[in-house]
Amino acid sequence: MSAIMLAEDVIEMCSVRVGETLFGVPVMRVLEILGKPATHPVPLAPEFIGGLAHYRGEVLTTVSLRRLLKMPPCGSSEDVLVFEGEDGYFGLLVDEVSEVLTVSPADFEGNPSTLDDRRKALFAGTYKLKDGLLVMLDPERLDPVRLTEMDLRSA
Amino acid sequence: MDDLTREFLIESQEGLDRMERCLTELEELPEDRELLADIFRSVHTIKGTTGFLGFLRLEKLAHAGENLLGLLRDGKMVANAEIISALLSLLDALRGILSNIEASGSEGEGDDAPMIARLQELQESAAEAKADAPEKPKKKRRLKAKKQPKESAMTIQVASPVPESKAIEVYQAEPQVPQPSRAMANTAESTLRVDIDLLNRMMNLVGELVLTRNQILQRVGAESDLTLLSRRLDMVTADLREAVMKARMQPVSHVFSKFPRMVRDLAQQLNKRVRLVMEGQETELDKSLLEAIKDPLTHSVRNAIDHGIEAPHLREAAGKDAEGTVKLRAYQEGSYVIIEVSDDGGGMKVERIRDKALERKLITRERAAQLSDRELMQLIFLPGFSTAEAITNVSGRGVGMDVVRTNVEKIGGKVEIDSRPGKGTTLRLRIPLTLAIVPALIVFSRGQSFALPQGALSELVHLSAEQAKTQVEWMEGAALYRLRGKLLPLVFLDSLLKQREEQAREGEAYIAVLNAEGRRYGLIVDGLADPEEIVVKPLSSVLKQIGLFSGATVLGNGEMALILDPGAIATQANIGMALEEDAHEVIEAGTRNGATEYLLMQSGQEHAAVPLDKVLRIERIPRARMEWLGGVPVLRFEGSLLPLRDTGSAGEEMTVVVCRDGSRHVGVAVSQVLDVADGRPLEEAGTHAAARNVTLLHEKVTSIVPLEVIPALPVQTLEVTQ
Repeated sequence: MSAIMLAEDVIEMCSVRVGETLFGVPVMRVLEILGKPATHPVPLAPEFIGGLAHYRGEVLTTVSLRRLLKMPPCGSSEDVLVFEGEDGYFGLLVDEVSEVLTVSPADFEGNPSTLDDRRKALFAGTYKLKDGLLVMLDPERLDPVRLTEMDLRSA
Repeated sequence: MDDLTREFLIESQEGLDRMERCLTELEELPEDRELLADIFRSVHTIKGTTGFLGFLRLEKLAHAGENLLGLLRDGKMVANAEIISALLSLLDALRGILSNIEASGSEGEGDDAPMIARLQELQESAAEAKADAPEKPKKKRRLKAKKQPKESAMTIQVASPVPESKAIEVYQAEPQVPQPSRAMANTAESTLRVDIDLLNRMMNLVGELVLTRNQILQRVGAESDLTLLSRRLDMVTADLREAVMKARMQPVSHVFSKFPRMVRDLAQQLNKRVRLVMEGQETELDKSLLEAIKDPLTHSVRNAIDHGIEAPHLREAAGKDAEGTVKLRAYQEGSYVIIEVSDDGGGMKVERIRDKALERKLITRERAAQLSDRELMQLIFLPGFSTAEAITNVSGRGVGMDVVRTNVEKIGGKVEIDSRPGKGTTLRLRIPLTLAIVPALIVFSRGQSFALPQGALSELVHLSAEQAKTQVEWMEGAALYRLRGKLLPLVFLDSLLKQREEQAREGEAYIAVLNAEGRRYGLIVDGLADPEEIVVKPLSSVLKQIGLFSGATVLGNGEMALILDPGAIATQANIGMALEEDAHEVIEAGTRNGATEYLLMQSGQEHAAVPLDKVLRIERIPRARMEWLGGVPVLRFEGSLLPLRDTGSAGEEMTVVVCRDGSRHVGVAVSQVLDVADGRPLEEAGTHAAARNVTLLHEKVTSIVPLEVIPALPVQTLEVTQ
């Protein structure tokens, strides 16, 4: 985080939409975007797991942002962002990937205190855009290994 | 660590492995010049390189050993058990330092003076002993093959004071060492060291290719112009896969080679006399599997010596050679490698096994009384079982045969045991040739596909919707099925996976009868698809934690499937150990009151039968898949061709009963399979000659399908890809 803020004047963010909210992930962290791949459900998997997707000859475990935020299912097929995590690659299921936005560190603010605890733990803060907010996501916080630990702690 | 050091480590380890092999052989042939030269060379190479790399401890030790070996090589001393033991402990010391270097880059701390002194002493004492040899025979040692030195005492005086030579001086003495033979040099030129990661990656890619091929083959179907191309793709893929698999293969001698030493040490420790015979060392196995069977195999060999072979006096009393034999035999059988560990010892004492099992409360007294000898033998695979009277260094530490079995089954293998009192015991490990690609049956549960490894599958039972309701019996929440008169615990896959909430289930079902780690149960699934060769992909740690899946795979139709772990399912469902063996049961059934069991089938209006022991499996196949080859109906099946006998069945789908006829497989197409029944032979009236191809089933005369008249395929065109 701090590294990003200290860097250049502008940061490139890959914006994604889930429900009504616009989220952003630093472009540099995204390994690949899979357009609406088929996902395969895993019975008995933790709640936040969105299923398996085929990625370069390997089986990719995906995290569903909707399930993480306890939102109803999307209804149509979703896009996947691929990140590198502690335990190899993992995917993040979002409704739709949209354009790359440039934001300035000056427009960054931390999570508001009124946000619920679950979201506070998941979101890294927000950028003020001209016509709305871009909620910053930090792939490290969405790593399935970390999410499992978090679930265990809260349980 | 720099490349030079790494190279040095690999080379030295190989050298030491060779030295170990040679040393144990030397015990039998103490004057074999070639062996001695080989051992000398290994130590010499280490010494030469260490001086260069600055590993001083290694250099000193190797130097001390080299001096002693030099005398042996030049025939100025003869190796005896004491010398060989000393050299073996030198070898261990060298290995210890090498592993220190590998771990930390430095030789580590340690006092080598006692070892060096021991070697020095041997050098001197051997020289003395030799000088005195004619008058004072050395005290008798257990080991045979001790010969009197050839040379006279005179020459020894010249040779015995060993000069404190420096590395460079010994290099000058080098020409005495026989040059490696031409054959050896050639192997070195035609082989190449390949990083194991690269090989793994290649195997992965080939797996990917196999998948793509499967998908293409499924899609091509009727498109005739693509058929030829896809056939070629099929063949090339199979060849490539085989080649890459070969590259990962290593001869089992890599594991076997450490046994001579182990057997020697153990025999000495236990005061037994054991001869080790090894066969089929050139049999090859995937490197990762070889790694995986190392421990189970070591344990089995230890067991054979500790529990199997009797003490020499007992053997002599029983009229056997005082020296026991442990035999290690490896050979390939289909897509499995069989490794047998057999001993000619006392065999397993069934009463003792039973008593021990009772003592440890592994079974109840009532149950024990019902078990046959063969079933009692299976008890040794129960966790916590040991018959060792006392806990020795060798066995009885609680790491028992159950661990051997678990480890072997983890890699898709099987363990069988066979023992005869007084004659010995044979333990048979069946190991699949490769891990990356496994045959699996695709099953459905609530619309989702799962792969079930075929290694654990023993049979399939189909239940119609009606049968599923009536034949599944309930005992206070536990579902059971009567399989040939015995109760089989059932596990519902969908409720296990929490795919459904309520207990009731509707519609037809299949019971996959599984045998995992000695536990037998039926897994109820909604449907079956074709068996497929699947490429195992690892799951992320989060999903591994679920504990029921061993991986995932992509199927021929592009869909993904999770691979079920039959052992883990048994554990989760609390399935207990079954003591009966499958095959056993069938054999018993087959020979009951002289009658043979037949599979009764309906083809058109007629009834027909085949002997049950000939039946391999039964498949439902669309009629359209039947092809013709030179007037013979055939089925393409997993890359091989199956000659068919079509008895004129009708309908969209046909049932194919795949049977064994000698060594070949043939199929019999029928309308449906009816039942299994005992058949009785019939005699022709008047002649009393046994009627051929006819039997009495359910009091009806039924014709037996003559498998041998199904025409053979023109063999040259047979394309076997698997």
